[in-house]
Amino acid sequence: MGKHILILGGGVIGLSTAFACAQRGHRVTVLEQGRCGGQASGAAAGMLAPFSENGEGPDDFFRLCLASLQLYPAWQQTVKEVSGRTFEYSHTGSLNVVYHESDRLALAGRAAWQERFGAQPQIVEGADLHRLEPALSPAVHAALYHPDESHIYAPDYVLALEEACRKSGVQIVDHLGSVRVIASPDHRACAVDKKGVTYEGDCLVVCNGAWAGELQEALGLQIPVYPIRGQICAYELPAPGSVRHMVFGSQGYVVPKANGTLVCGASEDVAGFDTAVTERGIQRLLNWNHRLYPFLEELEPYHRWAGLRPATQDGYPLLGRLSQQPAILMAAGHYRNGILLSPVTGQAVADLIDDRTPQVSLARFALERFTRQPVR
Amino acid sequence: MTTSQQQAGDPLIIGGKTLSSRFFLGTGRYPNPYVQNEAIRVSEAEVLTFAIRRINLEEPEDDAILHHLSFKPFTYLPNTSGASNADEAIRIARMARASGLSDWIKVEISANERTLLPDPLETLKATEVLAAEGFTVLPYTSDDPILCKRLEEAGAAAVMPGGAPIGTGLGILNPYNIGLIVEEAGVPIIIDAGLGSAADVVQAMELGVDGVLMNTPVAKAVDPVRMAQAMKLAIEAGRLSYLSGRIPKKRYATASSEYEALKVK
Ligand SMILES: Cc1cc2nc3c(=O)[nH]c(=O)nc-3n(C[C@H](O)[C@H](O)[C@H](O)COP(=O)(O)OP(=O)(O)OC[C@H]3O[C@@H](n4cnc5c(N)ncnc54)[C@H](O)[C@@H]3O)c2cc1C
Repeated sequence: MGKHILILGGGVIGLSTAFACAQRGHRVTVLEQGRCGGQASGAAAGMLAPFSENGEGPDDFFRLCLASLQLYPAWQQTVKEVSGRTFEYSHTGSLNVVYHESDRLALAGRAAWQERFGAQPQIVEGADLHRLEPALSPAVHAALYHPDESHIYAPDYVLALEEACRKSGVQIVDHLGSVRVIASPDHRACAVDKKGVTYEGDCLVVCNGAWAGELQEALGLQIPVYPIRGQICAYELPAPGSVRHMVFGSQGYVVPKANGTLVCGASEDVAGFDTAVTERGIQRLLNWNHRLYPFLEELEPYHRWAGLRPATQDGYPLLGRLSQQPAILMAAGHYRNGILLSPVTGQAVADLIDDRTPQVSLARFALERFTRQPVR
Repeated sequence: MTTSQQQAGDPLIIGGKTLSSRFFLGTGRYPNPYVQNEAIRVSEAEVLTFAIRRINLEEPEDDAILHHLSFKPFTYLPNTSGASNADEAIRIARMARASGLSDWIKVEISANERTLLPDPLETLKATEVLAAEGFTVLPYTSDDPILCKRLEEAGAAAVMPGGAPIGTGLGILNPYNIGLIVEEAGVPIIIDAGLGSAADVVQAMELGVDGVLMNTPVAKAVDPVRMAQAMKLAIEAGRLSYLSGRIPKKRYATASSEYEALKVK
C-alpha cells in the first residue's frame, strides 16, 4: 500500500521527489510557501554538466552527478509524456576553454580521469577548435570538449514537472508562507503552515533549497546551508546557431538555447536572501564574456535575473533520512547542480521511502555530518 | 597574549615586508564564496595565493574569486601553477605583475600531472630570472636541502619546500630534510603543500619553519571555517613551542615532584 508523503518546497528538487514518489504509487502532497519553481529552479541555466562542474576528481558527488546525467534521457521523456508538455533538451556538448599554455597540464589531468567514466573528453585547439566552434575568440588557447554534456530549458522543465505531478495525482498546495515542521506523536510527520493548518503524513521530505537552515531547531540538526545569489542574463543572438556548444571559462559560462537566445551566467554573490539584480553583478559578466565571443561586446542582454543557490558548508547536498526521526528525510543543498541532480535525487529519496538501497552511495551526503556533538 | 604581541618580538619579514601572520592561504577549491570568505577571515592570513591562469587579468578587481576579497588589504602571492617550464612561468609572472596584482610571485613549475611535483631545474631558472627583474620570488620546491640553498642564492625572498605532493594530506614526509633546510637557511622557509591536519602544521612549525602555506586541507575539510581556525592555532602553538625549547626525550619517567619533596617529615 502506498504511503502519504509530504514534501516541503516546490522547487525542482521537491517536484522531482514528488513525481518519483507518485510514480511508485505513493500519495503525495507538496507544500510550497510561494509559487512552485519560483526560486532557484526557475532561474537556472539548465546545464547538465557533471564533467564541467567537477574538475578535480571522481568523488561521490561527481558519481551522483554522472548517475543523474545518465537517468536524464528516460526521465525527461517520462516527464514529457505524463505532463503532455514539452521543453528543450539539447545535446550540444560542452567546451571548457583556457587562455594560457600553462592550462594544458590541468586540462590533461582532467581528461585523464574523466576518460575512465566513458566521457571521451578531447583536448581541441587551433583549426580543430575553430571548426568545432567558429565564433570563439582567437585568444582561446585550447578547450576540453565533452560531447556528452547537454542542457535543458529549466523554466519549461519545471513547469512540465509540476504538471506531471498534478496529472499523477500529486496535491500541490502553494502560497502557504513559510511551512514549519512540528513534532509528531506516533512517529508520523507533521507540518503546519502560516494560517495554522496542519498536514500529516507517513513521512516528510525537506526540499526547501536555500531556506533549509530555517529547520535547524525543529530537526535538532546543524544545517549549514547558505544562499549564494547567482546573477545571470540572456541575449538574443543576431545569428541564431552562431554559438554551438555550452562554453565554460574560469569566469563563467554561456549556453545557447534553441529559441535563439544565449544565456550567460553567473555570479556567486554572498548577499543573504536578497534576490535583486545589481548593476555591478551583471556588469562583471559583460566585462569578460566578449573574451569568449568578441561579438558579445556590441550586444546588450535583453533579460537579467537572479536566484539563490542552496550552498552547504562542504559543497555536498544533504540527502538522506534523519536517524533520530526516521519519518523525516531531506534533499537540499544542491548548490550549482540541482537541475542536473533532480532525477537522481527523486529516485534516491523514493528508494529510501520504499526501504530500497539507492543505486548510488549516499553516505557522503548524510544529514548528520555537520552535527558532531562534543562528548562530555 | 594576542597574535600581534607574539609577532612583535618575533616578526616574519619577507621581501622587506613585515607580515602579520605566518599562515599563507590558497583561494582555490572552497565549496562556495561564503565559506571561502569566512575561512580566510578566521585564518587571519595576510598572504593569499591563487593561480594566475584562472584570474581575469584584464579586470582583476572583477575577477570571480578576487572580487570577494575586498574586506581586508591582503598581500597577493599569485602562482604560476600549470607552468611546465621556466619560460612559461616567467611569462605568466610578468603578466600578473603588469596587471597590477602584485610583484610577489610563487614560482610553481610541475612537469608531471599525476604527482605535480616541482621541476627543480626549471624552478631554479625561473627564480633567477624573476628575482633579477625585481620580483619578490617565493619558489615552491622539493624538500632537498642543497636545492633550497641554491634557490636562496638565486635570489628567492623565501623558499617553500613541500611537505608532500600537493593536495595529498600526507604530512611531512621527510622531517629530517626540512630540519636541515631550516638550519642552513638565510631566508624564511615556508612549508608549502602536502599537509593534512593541525598535527602536521605543529610538526612543521616545531621543525623551525617560518610559516605554512595551505589550501586543500582547509578548503576541503567538512568545516573549512573551523579548520582554518585550527590551522591558525596550530601555527601559533607550533611556533611558540619551537621558540620555547622542548625538554629532551628520556627513556624512563622522571617525577615532576621529586620523591624527597613528597616525603612526610
Ligand atoms: C543563476 C543560476 C544558474 C543555475 N544554473 C544551473 C544549471 O545550469 N544546472 C544545474 O543543474 N543547476 C543550476 N543552478 C542551481 C539550481 O538552480 C539549484 O540547485 C536548484 O534549483 C535547487 O533546487 P531546490 O528545489 O532545492 O531549490 P528552489 O528552487 O529554491 O526551491 C525551494 C523551494 O522551497 C520553497 N520553500 C522554502 N522554504 C519553505 C518553507 N519553509 N515552507 C514551504 N516552502 C518553502 C521555496 O519557496 C522554493 O520554491 C543554477 C542556479 C542559479 C541561481
